[in-house]
Formats: sequence, structure tokens, C-alpha cells
Amino acid sequence: MSFHMNRRSFLAAGTAALLVPTILRAQESDIAIGSLTPNTGGGAPFGPNITAAHKRVVDAVNAAGGILGRQVRLFQENSETNPETAVRAADKLINVNGVCAIVGTFSSSVTLGVMPKCQAANVVQMCTSSSSDIPVADEKGLVFNFQPLSPIWGRAIGELVKSRGIETFGLMALNNDFTRSMMDGFIEIVGQDALLNEPFYYNAQQSSYRSEVTQLIEKNPQAVFVPSYVTDFTAVYKELYRQGYEGTVITTSLSTGPQFKEAIGGAAEGIVHGFPVPAINSPAYKEYLVEAGLEASDSVQHPFGTAGRDQLTTLLLAIEKAGSTAGPDIAKAVWEVTTGEGKTTVYNLADGLAALRAGKDINYSGASGSIEFDEEGMVLGRDFQLSEIRDGEDVVIERLEY
Amino acid sequence: MSAYLVSMATYAGFFMILALALNLQWGLTGMVNFGIAGFYALGAYTSGLLSAKAGWPLGLSIPMAIAAGFAAGGLVALLSMRLREDFLAIVTLGVGEVIRLIVLNEDQITEGPRGLRIEAQPFQSLMAPENYPVFYLGFVAFFVAITYWICERIRKAPMGRTLRAIREDDVVAGVLGKNVFRHRIQIFAIGGGFMGLAGALYAHYSQNISPEVFMPTVAMFIWMSVIVGGAGNNRGLLIGAGTVIMFLEGTRFFGDVLPWLDAETMSSVRIITIGLLLIVTLRLRPRGLLPEPKFTYTRDKIAG
Amino acid sequence: MNLQIFVNALVNAALIAPPAMAFSLLFGVLKFPNFAIGGYITLGAFAAYTFNVPLGLPLPLATLGAMLFTGFVVWLAHVWVFKPMQDQSAVTLLVVSIALTLILESVVRLFFSADVRGFDIPLERPWKFWGARITREQVEIIACAVVLATGLHVLLRHTRIGRAMRAVADNPMLAAIRGVDAAKITALTTVLCGAIFGLTGVFAGLDLVIEPLVGWNLTIPIFAAAILGGIGSPYGAILGALLLGLAEELTILVLPSTYKIAVGFVIIAIFLLLRPQGLFGTAEIKK
Repeated sequence: MSFHMNRRSFLAAGTAALLVPTILRAQESDIAIGSLTPNTGGGAPFGPNITAAHKRVVDAVNAAGGILGRQVRLFQENSETNPETAVRAADKLINVNGVCAIVGTFSSSVTLGVMPKCQAANVVQMCTSSSSDIPVADEKGLVFNFQPLSPIWGRAIGELVKSRGIETFGLMALNNDFTRSMMDGFIEIVGQDALLNEPFYYNAQQSSYRSEVTQLIEKNPQAVFVPSYVTDFTAVYKELYRQGYEGTVITTSLSTGPQFKEAIGGAAEGIVHGFPVPAINSPAYKEYLVEAGLEASDSVQHPFGTAGRDQLTTLLLAIEKAGSTAGPDIAKAVWEVTTGEGKTTVYNLADGLAALRAGKDINYSGASGSIEFDEEGMVLGRDFQLSEIRDGEDVVIERLEY
Repeated sequence: MSAYLVSMATYAGFFMILALALNLQWGLTGMVNFGIAGFYALGAYTSGLLSAKAGWPLGLSIPMAIAAGFAAGGLVALLSMRLREDFLAIVTLGVGEVIRLIVLNEDQITEGPRGLRIEAQPFQSLMAPENYPVFYLGFVAFFVAITYWICERIRKAPMGRTLRAIREDDVVAGVLGKNVFRHRIQIFAIGGGFMGLAGALYAHYSQNISPEVFMPTVAMFIWMSVIVGGAGNNRGLLIGAGTVIMFLEGTRFFGDVLPWLDAETMSSVRIITIGLLLIVTLRLRPRGLLPEPKFTYTRDKIAG
Repeated sequence: MNLQIFVNALVNAALIAPPAMAFSLLFGVLKFPNFAIGGYITLGAFAAYTFNVPLGLPLPLATLGAMLFTGFVVWLAHVWVFKPMQDQSAVTLLVVSIALTLILESVVRLFFSADVRGFDIPLERPWKFWGARITREQVEIIACAVVLATGLHVLLRHTRIGRAMRAVADNPMLAAIRGVDAAKITALTTVLCGAIFGLTGVFAGLDLVIEPLVGWNLTIPIFAAAILGGIGSPYGAILGALLLGLAEELTILVLPSTYKIAVGFVIIAIFLLLRPQGLFGTAEIKK
């Protein structure tokens, strides 16, 4: 008897769940786009910038009349930097909101985690991830990565510091795919012989990083390289400073943003950090700073926010170009609006749309880089920049151009 | 929309198997297990690795996942002999975390933080891809039903009485000549086996697993399912698992109607809501939504 | 192997020992392992941050404010959440305490986002001696831990309130018969423990970073130290914290450091199985 009751209540619950969201569906005429960003968890320091950038592009285009004569509706979800949550969020975006693309995924495990769902539904993905598995898993060619794979980062940072005459290194990395493969790329360039310790990993969320730091600086290397995220790096750096390390500390610019400088204060002096950068003189980057209300400086500002702007701009340009919201059509058009020579270079959505509507071929050059894709959908090399923190400001010390 | 409901129901299915298994261990026998995420991971990685790397057919790899969970459950049960239940909670939480750390660190085998890609899906070749999600829901529902049936059988059988006796007072049960030790190991192992099964079903459904999936929060959600639904009552906790998934997922839709709730705020609000659900339920219905019925077996006999 | 390892272990211990003592005390009156301590510590760190940075109070004053605030919140949690549920099993309460930690973390995130933060005091270079290094701040944290432990010892052994606390922890019924107001003593204990968690939040913010998960990350080491030292023994908690610190330091000489998080769990398991009363404890945590 009560089993029937159970089934009944289950059905009732199901119906209720079915009714509520139907009200929330995008109107048929809207173009639905999903933004799936790491607003909490490991990517939390970067997610909100991406979300905001996505929203700005959409608000601007809607104010100017939309795409293909339709309004764009952005559905935002938080991946919590956790693939388990992200897959369910992607499910909702695809099956309830009917999005044609999911943009803004950050950690590789999230990008890869939602990929089977996206591929099955022909949904385009745009991410800033690092795993070299991404092009392998992307069987339908629907994925575009707006960030160079992390071994490239490691190699570029390696090249830049080697040219500064540093000969001995200590190495440790946060234990995730992004930072681990960055370390591998770094070792490729500086060579095993330059390492004074056996490279090792630490986990985020440790209750102390003292013993790791002791181990790292035990043989007193001229420099230590610590690929990391900002939360763990802040704790690690405090410990490096407190244990009296006087050599050069090298990391990625991800870990040394304004929050880091604010938390560490004057002790941040002399940290060297590298990052793939937009041509800082690029008009798109300057526009981004205005859009986000930022002052121009030597620092790499909003490394992922700029990529977020580029993702949505590229996507909308591709939809306009393709004249369709079908995944494969959009994917094909992404190459057409970003890659290839002899086209009109545009730096923002409005100009791009105007040029497309005037029948021109365009090449979007973005705020995070020039945005050219290889045949696997991976962004081609971006410039790398090595900066040093001096008096609380980033000062560019070297640049590597591809 | 219906595709979304199908996939949420599939998730609810995984949660239900886990909740049934936990109820067997805790609700019925009084053995605490906070390492659910570890058993879930063990099942997922056993089946995933055997099929993706060793090329085993799913007909063998999924049973192996059950066997792995079963064996691990038997081992962990040994701990329960000496520990008070709340400290067993910490120790089993540790077991779950150690399993996750092994998966994370032994990346030559497990692919570690890169995550493991699994192509194989059961009976995939037999139907069109667009029908597959519905089939998979049925496939999971079938296993939920089997798990439910076995759990009910154990609960109603004479063994169920013994288990409840162990739960209420293991010393008395021992004095009455029940082999407390053997029963505990058996039940913990069976529960572990079900958790392994849930893991394997999850792995072949999501086709991509990584250590981050198996954080202790999973254990937390299953515990909430059981406590909210009513510990000891298998029907209650099916509702509990459904409720937890509905809260987890339903709160997502706030964001679509309330644009000022940004994604970051949303996820905080979601977690706060879920936490309050537990506290409010316990304040209003201390024994859960459907409390454990007393002396079920006699009533069933009369009814039957 | 060098002296630095011992310094590291000592500083870890100074951070972990006070909340381990508070956890122990709280366990005595509430009778379940309270995972909400993670949320309380996070709350303490952010309260002190708010007083120190946006409001510009000097750190010692901010710390005092944070201790009062956290003490109040822990008392509130007791009155609103745990007390009405005291008939539930220890495990149910444990699950509720995890939920409470998640709620507190999320509330903090709601107001402060997940950005990393630091107090408004400069980092310092260490003093060096015999190849080891220690900073003034670390010495202060160690001194605080010692003073706190001594204070707690004196309180529990030599004052009437302390004796009442122990009586309630040992046997609430008997204590009530002897005229001890158990409810009042319990409330007092929660406020005292809350203040210690607030202080830990400040230390953790100094030592690590101020972020919503800072308390959760310390929870298992705190449990491990309390169990290792023996529940109910403040000095035991200090020794437990020291040994735990040493064990963590020494493990990374033999195991990859990525397994460090497991050390606390393994110690908990070994001690609970082999010596459930810990090194010095008397409390009954075996079944």
C-alpha cells in the first residue's frame, strides 16, 4: 500500500518539477547560451570575472538588437570547479534551457566531464583548460580552447627564466593536471641537471605547507618554480618568506593577482611570474579594460575575464556568420571568424557584426590574445610575458613572442 | 525538459542505491560509514579501469566493481568492532579520503587528476543514441529495484531482527548467541558491494570520472538522504534521496527567474538551503519523513 | 633530517593544540565529534579580518572581537540547533554539524566571496639559529598556545566553574544532583570553546590564508590531535598536536607529500583501535 503512495508522491514531485521550469524556458525566438564558470571551489578566484565578461557581451549585443534578429539569453551556472556538479548543471543547460553552446569551463576535469553530454547534443564548448586529452576526446570537433595547453606555459616560462641566467632550481607544484603538466614543460627546457630537488606535488587544502617548503629550499636553489593557484600559493609563499628563502620565486601570474598582493603586502617584492598575455597594446584588451572598469597597468589583469569576453564574442560572431544555431555550423564558422589571413581584423563584437553584415570576411583578434585556432580547436600560441613584482606593481621584464 | 528529468532521475537512482546501502549498514545494523565516496570511487574506477584499460567486457567489469566494494566493505567492518559509532564515522571518512588520494596520486594507473575517460556503455550498440538515456534510466531503475528488494528481504528476514538487535545493543545480541561479528562483516560487505555497483553505473553513465567527483560531500548528501527520509525505512530513504536531488537541482532554477542572483551567490544559497533542509526536517520530524515502522514483519504477515 | 623539522612541528602544534583542547571540552558536554568547528574557525578568521582591515582596528583588538563574536555564534548554534536535538544519536548530530559547517562557510562566501585575504600586518623574515628558522609571529603563536593550555588547566583543576564543567562532562545527572546548573555550565563551555575557535581562526589566517575553507582544512588535524592526546586532557592535546606535527613532517621523508592529508586519518585509526583513551585521556571513547 505504502509503495503506491511512494510512487504517487514521486510522480507528484516529478510533475511539479516538470511544471516549474517550463515557465523558465527561453522564448523560442531567443538564442540560448550557457555559461558554466567556476564561481566557487578551486577556480573561485577567476570564475566571477568570466561570468561578468560573458554577461557584458550579451547585454551589449541585446541592446544593439541581438544576433540574426533574435535576442540572446545567457543562462549562468556555477560549476563549483567540480565535475560532479558541473555535469548536472550542463544537463540543465542543454536539456532545459536548450543552449547551443556552453562557454567558460575552466578546469580540465570539468571541461572533459561535461563533454560527453555536449557531444551527444551537438553543443559547442568553449573553455580555458589545459589537458591535452581535450582534443582527443572532442570527436565531433565542437570544442575550442582559449588557453594554450599548460606544457606550453611551462616551456615558455622556462625559456624566459633561463635567459635570465638562473642555473639551479627547486620545483614543486600543486597536484592537478594544469600545474603538473606545466612543471613537465618547464623541466623540458631547463633540464633535469638544473634541478636541485626531486620535483614533487602538494595538495590544495593542506593544514600547513611548512614541510614542503623546507624540502623545496633545502639545497638552497637560486630559484624555485611553484606552478599553483592563488589560494595555495599565498600560503606557500608566506612560508617561503618565513623560512628565509632569498632566491627568486617563480610562478604563474594566476597566483599573483591583486588579491595576492593585497594579502601579502610588501613581502611580495621580487616575485617573478609568467603568463600568456594579450598584446597589451591590442585594441581589444584596451576595450576590455574600459568595459570592466579597470585602469591600464603593466599587470595581466583578468586573465580569464578577457578570455570570457573572447569566448562569447567569437561565439556570437560565429552564429551570425553561420546564420544558424546548430552546433556543427557554429563550430565551422568559429574558424572562419577567427583564423586565417587577409581578412578584416576586428576587436569587438559590434565592429565584427557590422563587417559581417557588410559582407566582409573577418578575423577577430581578442582581449586575451589574437585568437587563432589550429585544426583541433586549440588556440595557437599567445605571447608570453614575464613580470616581476616591484613596489607592489607588476613590471614587465621579458616577453616571448610567438 | 524531459531529457533533463530523465537524467536527474538517473542521478537520483545512483543516490538511491547508495542510500539503500547506507541504510543497510547504518539504519538497520547501526554501523556508521562516512566513506561512501570512497566505495563509490572504488566501484567507478574498478569498472572504468577494467573496461577502458584492460578491455574487459562490462559484463565482467561491473561485477568486479561490486566485488571490490564487497571486499573493501568486509575489511572496513573489522574496524567497526572496536569503535564507538561517532568515531567510526571519522575513521571511515578517512578510508574514503585515502581511496580518493590513491586514485589521485597513482596516476600511472588511474590517470590521476587528468580524469579517466570511459567509452564503454552497457548495451550501447543495441539502440539509437537518442533513446539511450531513457534506456539507461531503466537500467539504473532495474538495479535500484533489485537493491531495494534485497534490502527489504534482509530487513524482513529473521536476520533483519538479529541486525536490529545488534544495532540496539550488540552485547545483548552476542549474549543471545548471535554471531555479531559475522553479521556485521556480512552486512557491511553487502552494503559496500551496492556502493561499488552505484559507482560502476555512474562511471559508465558519465563516461568521464576524476578524483574530484568523489569528495566527502557525496557522503554528506547520502547521509542527508537517509536521515531526512527516515533511517531504517527503505521507502522513506528513496524519498529522501529524491528530495535531496530535488533540492540540489531545483535551487538551480532560482537563477533563471531571479537575475540578480549571480552564479556565485546561487551556489552559496543552494548549500545553505540544503543544510537548512536537514536541520528543519530534524527539528520538525526527528525520525525523518517516513520513520522506521515498528515490528514491520508481523504487520506484513497479517497483510499478506 | 634537521632542526627545522622540529620547529615546523612545534608551530603546527601551536596552531592545532588550542582548538584540539576546545574540541575535547566540547565533546565532553555534547558527546559527539563536532565538525562544525571548521565553520566556527572560518567565521573567527573572517570576523577578525572585518575588524582588522575594513574597520581598521589593531589586530589584538580585532582578535578579541573575533573571539567574542565566535563565542556568541557557537552559543547560538548550541541553543538553536544542537540543544533541541539532544535526543538524536551522536551520528545524526555529527551529520548536522557537517551541515552547519557547510552553512557557515556558504554564509561567509555570500558576504566575502572566495577571494584570499590577509590581515593588515607585514610578513616577517625569520630569526635563524643552528640552521633552523622561526619568526616572531610564530613564537607569539606558540606562547599563546602555552598560556592558553596553562589557563585551561588551572580553570579545569582549580576553579569552581572548571570543576563544574568536568562534573557535567563526567556525569550530568550526578552533577545536577550535586546542585550544578548543567544548562548554565554547558552554555558557558560553548562560549569558552567558541572563543578559542575564534582565536584559532586568527592564527590560521596569520599562518595560512583567510578563505572560506580555512577551518575545514584544519578539522581533521584537530580531531587527530585531540584523539591522540586523549579526549578530555588539555596537556594531552598539546602533546597530541606535537606528535601529529612530527608524524606529518616525517612522513614526507618516506611517502610522497601528496599523501600528507592521510596522516591525520591514519593516526586517528591507529589510536582509536589500539589505545582509544589516547595518551593521557580517561574519557570513554571505546564502545
